[in-house]
Amino acid sequence: MAWLLVRLKLRLLVNALRSSNSAKISFLVSSAFAVLLAVLTFLALAGFRGKATSVELTSVIFTVFAFGWLIAPIMVFGVDGTLDPATLALYPLRTRPLAAGLLAASFTGFWPLANVAGLLGVTVGLASGGLGIVVAVVAVVLQVLFCIALSRFVTTSLASLLRSRRGRDMAAFLIIPLVALYEFFTQVVPKAVSEGTITVASFAGFDSWMRWLPPGLAAHAIADASDGRPGMALARLGALAAVIVVLAWLWVRSLARALVTADTTTQSSRVRGMRLPLAGLGAGGAVAARFWLYQRREPLSLVYWALVAVITAAVSASSVFGTRHHPAVILASAVFGAAFTGIFHSNSAGLTGPAFVLEAASLRHGRDLRAYFAGQNLVLGVIGAPLVVAVCFALAAVAGDPGMGVEATPVVLAGLGAALGLASLFTAALPYPMVKRAGSPVLVAAPGYAAQRIGGTLGTLLGTGVLAAPVIVGAVLAANGPGWIRIGVLLPCATVYGFALAATGVRLAATIAESRMPELCQIALRTVTDG
Amino acid sequence: MTTPEGAGAGLPRYPGPAAPRTGGAAVLVRGLRKRFGDKEAVAGIDLEIAAGSLAGLVGPNGAGKTTSLSMMTGLLRPDGGQILINGIDVWEDPPAAKAAIGVVPAEARLFDRLSGEELLEYSGRLRGLPAGQARSRAAQLLDVLDLAGDAKRLVTDYSTGMRKKAALGCALIHNPPVLFLDEPLEGVDPVSGDVIRRLLTRFAESGSTVLFSSHVMELVEQVCDHVSIIDKGAIVATGTIDEVRGGKTLQRAFIDLVGPRATDKEVLSWLGSSSG
Repeated sequence: MAWLLVRLKLRLLVNALRSSNSAKISFLVSSAFAVLLAVLTFLALAGFRGKATSVELTSVIFTVFAFGWLIAPIMVFGVDGTLDPATLALYPLRTRPLAAGLLAASFTGFWPLANVAGLLGVTVGLASGGLGIVVAVVAVVLQVLFCIALSRFVTTSLASLLRSRRGRDMAAFLIIPLVALYEFFTQVVPKAVSEGTITVASFAGFDSWMRWLPPGLAAHAIADASDGRPGMALARLGALAAVIVVLAWLWVRSLARALVTADTTTQSSRVRGMRLPLAGLGAGGAVAARFWLYQRREPLSLVYWALVAVITAAVSASSVFGTRHHPAVILASAVFGAAFTGIFHSNSAGLTGPAFVLEAASLRHGRDLRAYFAGQNLVLGVIGAPLVVAVCFALAAVAGDPGMGVEATPVVLAGLGAALGLASLFTAALPYPMVKRAGSPVLVAAPGYAAQRIGGTLGTLLGTGVLAAPVIVGAVLAANGPGWIRIGVLLPCATVYGFALAATGVRLAATIAESRMPELCQIALRTVTDG
Repeated sequence: MTTPEGAGAGLPRYPGPAAPRTGGAAVLVRGLRKRFGDKEAVAGIDLEIAAGSLAGLVGPNGAGKTTSLSMMTGLLRPDGGQILINGIDVWEDPPAAKAAIGVVPAEARLFDRLSGEELLEYSGRLRGLPAGQARSRAAQLLDVLDLAGDAKRLVTDYSTGMRKKAALGCALIHNPPVLFLDEPLEGVDPVSGDVIRRLLTRFAESGSTVLFSSHVMELVEQVCDHVSIIDKGAIVATGTIDEVRGGKTLQRAFIDLVGPRATDKEVLSWLGSSSG
């Protein structure tokens, strides 16, 4: 059974290399990242040699890997067929050999091997002496076994939930903390390290509780063996092995239950008895009403808004946090926040997918299309403007210069008008089908349409910057002037300017789309929203 | 849009004369063509469907049914030919033609984060109905379609049959004179199928016109007064049900027309409990 499932996994990997070019490139890039991760992890762990806090740092890295094993399978549930017990439920398989097979399959592939190879850096960085190296190798194997048992137990326990619509919705939101963490590590941590706010000693406190977690047990076992305490090392390894056995037992029980438990995908939720809002505003009101409900109910929309907030904060985070403040960078945040509100909707027909045909059947005249684009922009503006302004005010408060929030507000409003106008324009002029890959909460351009995607993204980003430039100049010039100029003159002028830009974009987009409705429908029909 | 000379020449037509006319015909198609690369998906079809008809368009997979219906409903630009809906040229005046039709696509991809009642109301309001009227029609349609109990559930949680019925409700809410359906009973359970069948019959009896594609010969035989068989992008037979089946069942007539497959008896000699 184990060999059969290992061969299945290998066959899936080989097939990825034989499939479409995009899948091939995706596989090769993923493999390259796995190798890079192995090399960097090995070098990082080896680099701890001789450091007083090497065991604490090793514990932190082991814990980060365990966290990664916990999160990643939940996000890519649909990618690895061996993760979902339902795919094997039809076969007459006994639970224990099946569990052994799935465990072996988990070890197969570039990423698990990259984990083992990378973590073996402890043989250089933490271990010393023959016993230390032997314990280090055993500890790494146990650490990876722990990670696999943990992730298998969690994914199997959550399998029916992850297969359901609600589960997939919840998994989609995991991308938000991951992007925020990524931004934190790339923007804030390097700055804090260079300024001395974060040092190696900062991790000392973590170790007091982390040493009792399974990854900490593995790291400390290596240190104990290297420091001549083999009994303590063996005791820690024994404790870690016991944790793995308990996890494996729980996993086997969970697997046995999952193989005979009914699917829960048909469980559904009801909406409250509210009618569609904005009655009496015609087709534009109907589109706005539908779009408004979607911003609340569709995970992808919520993910996009969270990403707008994260991007707005991240653009100036490195200048706002730390000791060297440059609060004026918040104006850049205002432009990027507004631009990304547009970028995420710069292919509205493709993003809507086949359901767009339902709307297209009713969009008969230019005025219908103007109402369609205006209705969407109304909702995006109503949500986007306060969101981006609020993040700018928060950044300004953190930077200790709350006045920058006031200066950023006209830039947000003008930028948002420009971005929404451009988004409508690109929706009509440069549409492309989108696909949702298994495991990813966001839609990406279908193979062969990268140029349209890049065109829409860069066009909206650069166009927003250029069109918002007069207001940025105005904000900079008015920065040292009296407050009434910023609030009484610049703010209303920027609002009117932004509104005019959005209205111009809508008008142009409606003119273009009117003659291209069949093509827009065909693009929308080719979007694949089921990953 | 021009009609290529000779397109569809020699094919039987129904009802009435072969020359293009709009009097009495709700749907009139002449020389409709569409090519995708090297493949000619629709090779110049002619079709004439009288107002008040319930007509079926049947054919094997890949015959050109969906492509033809997409062109007739303004979703796919044809390479040649002419389509008139109640005398309105679909590709000369798309807005007027769209107002006269309702469409249920093969894959009922809907706004699945709306509830059933929100979806139908949205469809009605998009079609220009006042909000109050859209709501009351939505409630009545949901009731007739046996979806009233699920009206407040999100469409994403609907089964295939429920989605088809919701899509039918969206297509009917503005009471179009002509209704197009692509595989209306694909993946639909018998109970939902019966609801759809009864609604289509009632709709046609009121004088409206229905054209649908289907693989289900039994459905076509039961509810249609006319049928056209399409194969390899061309209409190979058209007429009343009795004319097309010629004394056989429609299933038999269909298989005879589009060509039977070679027997698998020799290849699968191992299959079955009598084999070793």
